[in-house]
Amino acid sequence: MSKAGNRAERAEELIEQTGEALDDGKHPMRIFNDDGIYERELQRIFAKTWNFIGHESELEEPGDYARRYIGEDPYIFVRDEEGELHAFYDSCCHRGAQFVRAEQGNTSHFQCPYHGWTYRNDGELTVVPYEDERYDDLDKEAASLVEAEVETYKGFVFARVVEDGPSLDEYLEEFKWYLDIALDPTEEGLTVVGEPRRVRAEVDWKVPGENFAGDSYHLAHTHGSSFELEYSSSIWERFDAAGPLSQSYSVMTDTHAGEYYLFDEEPIYMDYPEKIEDHMNSDLSERQREMFSKSMFITGTIFPNASIWHGFNPIGGPWASIRLWRPVGPGESEIVSWLLVPKELEDDEEFLERAKAGYQSLSPGGVLEADDTEVWSGISESSNSATAIERDVRADISGGLEESDAVPITDGSHGPGEVIRAGPYLDEVYARTLFNSWHEFMSEQR
Amino acid sequence: MQSGTHPQLDETGDEWTPERMQRFFEVREFLLREANLLDQFELERWADHLTEDVEIRVPVRVARDAGSDRPEYSDSNHHLVVGHRDLLERVARLEKEYAWAENPRSRVRHTIGNVQLGEVTADTVEVFNNQVVYRERGTDGESDTISARRRSHLRETDEGFALADRDVFIDHTIVPSRNLTLPLL
Repeated sequence: MSKAGNRAERAEELIEQTGEALDDGKHPMRIFNDDGIYERELQRIFAKTWNFIGHESELEEPGDYARRYIGEDPYIFVRDEEGELHAFYDSCCHRGAQFVRAEQGNTSHFQCPYHGWTYRNDGELTVVPYEDERYDDLDKEAASLVEAEVETYKGFVFARVVEDGPSLDEYLEEFKWYLDIALDPTEEGLTVVGEPRRVRAEVDWKVPGENFAGDSYHLAHTHGSSFELEYSSSIWERFDAAGPLSQSYSVMTDTHAGEYYLFDEEPIYMDYPEKIEDHMNSDLSERQREMFSKSMFITGTIFPNASIWHGFNPIGGPWASIRLWRPVGPGESEIVSWLLVPKELEDDEEFLERAKAGYQSLSPGGVLEADDTEVWSGISESSNSATAIERDVRADISGGLEESDAVPITDGSHGPGEVIRAGPYLDEVYARTLFNSWHEFMSEQR
Repeated sequence: MQSGTHPQLDETGDEWTPERMQRFFEVREFLLREANLLDQFELERWADHLTEDVEIRVPVRVARDAGSDRPEYSDSNHHLVVGHRDLLERVARLEKEYAWAENPRSRVRHTIGNVQLGEVTADTVEVFNNQVVYRERGTDGESDTISARRRSHLRETDEGFALADRDVFIDHTIVPSRNLTLPLL
């Protein structure tokens, strides 16, 4: 490690060291909070990958728009008059001023507040004040709004800054098999409830992303106080005598990772009202339907920073959620959460109350997340230190690397990818998977 | 639930009778005592002054264009909706060692102002107040400030007023503190 080296050199060294250390299940702690690493993450990961920007159901009418970001870059997520979804870079082609001042709204045109250049909500420049008097032959087509690549999977909309790369379908790999169950289990699909919730915390985006990809190991310690509560204790009686350990599974594809809990004995359908059984999406295979019927919850992280949740926990639910750990600075994130429910149940008040109770457990005011953010923010502070560099401090994600009591499922009885029973407690391969993805993008091997 | 840009106090036009003035001072005193209990983490004593059907809500605030017909305070999404049972559980939780969010305790200070009576009935008083809640955590001296307007309904009981209902309209579209524990509301 170049101890006195400049920021760029240090960042490149940290990336290289991560590549080497991952073979031993380690990575430099400093990558959780380092200026040089952060700059490169924005350029090499967030500009190059598919980033979740919103759900189709947020923009019901033509002209509905929402302010969204890809990494730190401001975008306008909008439905045009023809019903097409777009993600426009929020910057006028004239002098770069922004159009959007609200988080959500509706407009047929975006008019620049600086000199009045006006664009239709499909991005086309339509009005330039004094156009004839100022320009001989302004190429208005070339001055259309810069637009990110936009693709949708089961109603979930992703955008990418760079033009070239794999399709969203390719990018999601075999993880789609699990996403189908989590994001589109019923005939009518999921729909958002209300506006997303936002909170800012001193948390590096990689930390919660990794946590949601399969860290059940932290539950007893981080959330001990919540699981001791009266109303959460009944949940544990529903597990087998062997406890949650033997009912938890990790799943890893090349780039993404997740976990799920299954009740093998009886179909519980995530604790949904019974009628859900009659509304299962017929596109799901029999094995996918069986997995949904046995599930307590499915969670996971679509690299880099979109985590999904569907199911119930000791506090409430079932509910579905997608969460963005949006980078807003080294070691700092804005946590954005969307609540979704099956459209079939969106007017069922009794169900919604349970769904919201669960959803709130993972809110800044929720008993679970309040403790998560408290713990995660300590990581940011300690990582951004001279000690982390001088003493070459490493994070340990080697659990289960050499051997563990976790059981690989190789008989094809689950879905594709690498599936491990008890993995969420005994094997940190989910974390190694995500840090491998991180290293591949950061070392520009992709 | 009230929506709109700001929860507004309707012009009640009620006269300042001696009874109304007395109500005003009683209610203001309740809010100030309650704030002291929250600041000092005397949460069990605070919870003694909740009705059994109490609900506390913190709606999500959304930045919207002026003149938008959609409410700024979401009518369908909240940071928090807690009823009596959950409030008691939360109070119990914060007493536990592993409640990291408030172990050690935040240094909290409510400054309450703009207290105004709303509708006053025989057994219930509607009251509005603004507040600035200062919160310091950890050992590095960093602090957060949460600004809000509250609307509360206080009900007269045998032991004096009890909180029956409350909306906490925070002024932030992005919660500026890493978590929102009870003493910050």
